Amino acid sequence: MTSDKTPTRRFPKERDPYRWSARGFIAPSVLVVAVLLYLPLLWTTFISFTEYNGLGDPEWIGVENYVEMFDDPEFLGSVLNTLLWVVGTLIVPVGIGLGVALLTWNLAGGTWLRLPFLIPYALSGIGVGVIWSFILGGGGALDQALAAFGIADTPRWLVDAPLNTVVMILATAWQGVGVNALLFTIGLQSIPKEPLEAARMDGATGLRLFRSVLWPMLRPLTAVVVGLSIVASLKTFDIVQGMTKGGPGRDSETLALTMYKETFVNSEYGLGSAVAVFLTIVTLVASILYLRQQLSSKHGV
Amino acid sequence: MPYKSTARVIRTSVLAVLGLIWLLPVYLLLINAAKSPETFTTEKSWVPTDFSLFQNIAEAMRLSGLAEGVASTLLYAVVSPAIAVLVGAGTGFAIVALRLRHGFAWFVAIFGGTVFPLQMILLPLFDAYSRMGVFDTRLGMVMVYTAISIPFSAFVMRNFFTGIAHSVFEASVLDGASTWRIFFRVYLPMASSALVAIFILQATFIWNDFLLGLVLSQSDTVRPIVTSLAGMQSTYGGAQMSTVLAGGLLVSLPTVVLFLCTQKFFARGLALGQY
Repeated sequence: MTSDKTPTRRFPKERDPYRWSARGFIAPSVLVVAVLLYLPLLWTTFISFTEYNGLGDPEWIGVENYVEMFDDPEFLGSVLNTLLWVVGTLIVPVGIGLGVALLTWNLAGGTWLRLPFLIPYALSGIGVGVIWSFILGGGGALDQALAAFGIADTPRWLVDAPLNTVVMILATAWQGVGVNALLFTIGLQSIPKEPLEAARMDGATGLRLFRSVLWPMLRPLTAVVVGLSIVASLKTFDIVQGMTKGGPGRDSETLALTMYKETFVNSEYGLGSAVAVFLTIVTLVASILYLRQQLSSKHGV
Repeated sequence: MPYKSTARVIRTSVLAVLGLIWLLPVYLLLINAAKSPETFTTEKSWVPTDFSLFQNIAEAMRLSGLAEGVASTLLYAVVSPAIAVLVGAGTGFAIVALRLRHGFAWFVAIFGGTVFPLQMILLPLFDAYSRMGVFDTRLGMVMVYTAISIPFSAFVMRNFFTGIAHSVFEASVLDGASTWRIFFRVYLPMASSALVAIFILQATFIWNDFLLGLVLSQSDTVRPIVTSLAGMQSTYGGAQMSTVLAGGLLVSLPTVVLFLCTQKFFARGLALGQY
């Protein structure tokens, strides 16, 4: 198949001698991605317009699943929780990550001071959930610590909504600050020295230095970090499933959990698929809106 | 300058205090995972009592079949990223070095495979796996982990190979090397650091996966350990909390150590994936 040992230029008729080997080299990934990712994607989209529970054949019912989905107040609660996750993970882990990066920047021993934040990063969502469920449980480590300070009347961290979502966001922040700090540190280190020196000569320090020089230069990296954070938080599943299972009731469910429950607990394949399609559309729209906003604001500066 | 040194002291102390707060959960995990189920109480979480960590870990491995799970998970976390890295490199090679026609379109199509949430593929995979007899098999798990690792790997490798001058390829052709040989002997060795970076990132991701394991597997031997840990938490979380915590420690340790040892590769992988 690969007759490509002959030098190219001597055979002008055969314009692309590597055509077949190129196809051969790309075929494995195209095949795997098509069969295991795109085919299921299309199937889920199709199932979302049907009534199906895994037995028999899917029955076409048009947009009924979508109507049922938007009529369900629990679904809207799940949308709001997901929104809270998006906003919360933007403010807390990204914000603190930037703070840690700025504080350790050009600081002797900065690498070591960053280390505590990096330890939780490689934990699984479930691992984080196991630790924090233990800390936040009724009468758990946090309640004991607060009692030592004379605060006996503590809220039920993982039971009261929306507090449970907030504390789970904080647990996620515990995990995510380190990697954001690492990324921002890389960004800070790549800033050229000259403009910084110039700004320092002009007497810019602290907040002014940050606002006038650092922030604009970190902009492209911030775009990446924020984009990643939004996309990841829209898909939040592991930590919620690990800590509250979306409960009590369905109070702390996110869209990813709703999809999982409808599909694999209630065997409502059509409805679960509709939730998956909705989640996908939201993810795509968020990425597009975000990218556009980022591009246009770049032009504005 | 006095201003500068005061600022330094303040910065260092803020970071130190914040860092200590960050370590508190780790401290709590360690001391409570070390308490034997007999001495463990839910009232004195902050005080270490005894050291039964290894008994607890052994018990955790026995309880939920974590021992077999560890072997399976290791298999997934090594084989899938290894295949994905090779296949992804092949993709980059085809597009950049062999100048595949419409290469960029193919590239976008492959990378598009990671843009949507996993929720879009769970049900069909579950359904198809059950019908084809690969549900709850190691083969099925390796397949899906490989598939979700390929787009990122192809993305990074294509970007990496773009940085290699095409004259390298042409020179190898003049030496009479086949494309196969050029790929394995010239391009792969040059990309070794990128290959390692992708491998480490993907291995960590697969080791930590919960959702795919939850949906596509069932038995203790096939289930990835993170999924088993979640099951263990809901089953034994009340009576044998210290055992569950020890299990959590066992499951988490490999990726944490790997990450701390290879921070540079990690950062590099993340950076490669973003530009």
